Amino acid sequence: MATAGRRVAVAGVGYSHVGRNTGLSIDDHMIAATKAALADSGLSVSDIDGITSVGTEPLLDAWLLGIEPVNWWASGMMAPAFSYSATQAIAAIASGFCDTAIALRVIGQQPSSSALVKGAGSNHPMTSMLHRAAGDRQFIVPFGAGSPVQWAGMFTQRYMQQYGATEEDFGNHVVTQRYHASMNDDAIFRDPITMDDYLSARYVSKPLRILDCDYPVDSGSAVIFTTEERARDLAQPVVLVESYALNAIRDLHFEVMSDMVHTAPVQTAKKLWEGTDLTPADVDTAQLYDGFSIIVFQWLEALGFCGDGEAAAFVREGNTRLGGSLPVNTDGGACNVGRRHGANFCIESTRQLRGQSGKRQVEGAEVAVWTNAVGPFAAGAILTKG
Amino acid sequence: MSTSTSATDGTAEAPLPPLPQPDAVTQFFWDGVAEGELRIQRCQSCGHYLHYPKVLCRYCQSDDLAGERVSGRGTLYTWTIAVQPFHPFYVDRIPYIVATVELEEEPGLMFMTQLTDCTEEDLRIGMPVEVTFVELHPELTLPFFRPVQGRT
Repeated sequence: MATAGRRVAVAGVGYSHVGRNTGLSIDDHMIAATKAALADSGLSVSDIDGITSVGTEPLLDAWLLGIEPVNWWASGMMAPAFSYSATQAIAAIASGFCDTAIALRVIGQQPSSSALVKGAGSNHPMTSMLHRAAGDRQFIVPFGAGSPVQWAGMFTQRYMQQYGATEEDFGNHVVTQRYHASMNDDAIFRDPITMDDYLSARYVSKPLRILDCDYPVDSGSAVIFTTEERARDLAQPVVLVESYALNAIRDLHFEVMSDMVHTAPVQTAKKLWEGTDLTPADVDTAQLYDGFSIIVFQWLEALGFCGDGEAAAFVREGNTRLGGSLPVNTDGGACNVGRRHGANFCIESTRQLRGQSGKRQVEGAEVAVWTNAVGPFAAGAILTKG
Repeated sequence: MSTSTSATDGTAEAPLPPLPQPDAVTQFFWDGVAEGELRIQRCQSCGHYLHYPKVLCRYCQSDDLAGERVSGRGTLYTWTIAVQPFHPFYVDRIPYIVATVELEEEPGLMFMTQLTDCTEEDLRIGMPVEVTFVELHPELTLPFFRPVQGRT
């Protein structure tokens, strides 16, 4: 390990009751995820002295939960979701700012686009955005653009054209992930699918299909980080942070990036490898953000698991399938477990290194990498069995 | 919801398009559109173009910025076929092609637009395209791009 400061470990992980339109509030999800992570770790609220969140306000959460004093906190707005919370918490502990911090990502499902275009009425939260587009959005929304599926469609198209990849190449990845989900009782989609199922799924922004997209849900995810020293006294097998990185290369405009193939994951991967003596060959399993299938391809290449433009072949040859050289998204990914905005990748990595992944366990897993986001910004970490 | 009402001609309510809200920084762009010119903000100090327009040049930190007419030519960087509408105005307009074009004035100067006067089968990355102004609605004209005539 070449990362500066105190060695940091994962103490506990947990989710709320995740699902479509759960009827639970944002606070309910935050509380449930926090309690689950505390129970997993064996820690109590009084052991926590740091908190960070994307999706809720950490100081309000701390007061609600009874965390006092709060020695460190950070709120993420324009940030790569859970990976921002996690990397901030790791850095805060490494530096001594706090000793035990909880990192949260809490998501309330957004109104569907079909509800939006059908005009859900003047009380619809997005109605005010519909008819006047200000700021940068004046160059986007009038053109019929602005949905993430559209930049994802453009990223995918560019990749296909640049490297000769096909829609079937993305299908291979989607089918593989679903196979992994079939072994995860917590996944929302567990029935295996075939290439025909993939190719008959509807487009949302061609060449992007609905099965290439993560599944919107209400979810709360929590991971508690602490020092290695403390972690050794806790309930769970120790999982250590080997390296971590966060970076941004521009503001949030994916649609005008001048290179849509090599984006923020390139820099994040570089920093991750600079923080360790490990190499891609040492990694036993990778949990790579799959907000859209193309993002997994970008990470496979950025992290050096295969060369530029080789992700399609890498997946086709079965490397990313359980039993292959690098099982990827062994929980089924966010397409199948539902949107956790990065947290599931950290949590599944932790479970794999603890040996707690059940039927989908990667035998002898000692090194895992997990990542989040793409395009303008990205982050991730390499974890090892302690 | 606030769809427009065509009270004068008695037709059913048609959704208004999403309209740009120009401000002091972006007014030049829409003035250009109204005059059939594509104008892009350019730093008068270092010469770099900036899109979307801003109050500061991110290359040299000068605030001496002005909209300048550009050729309206570029190459197709990528595209997607929009098959799902995200605004009531576009419900009856799918499918359409959302595209990002690299303008010829500067490498990496990207412009997001729609393509017109072509089909999906015509498209390939790097193909030359040019601006064309399309009136989508009496209140909205936009700079779309199309394949350069005779060069596809």
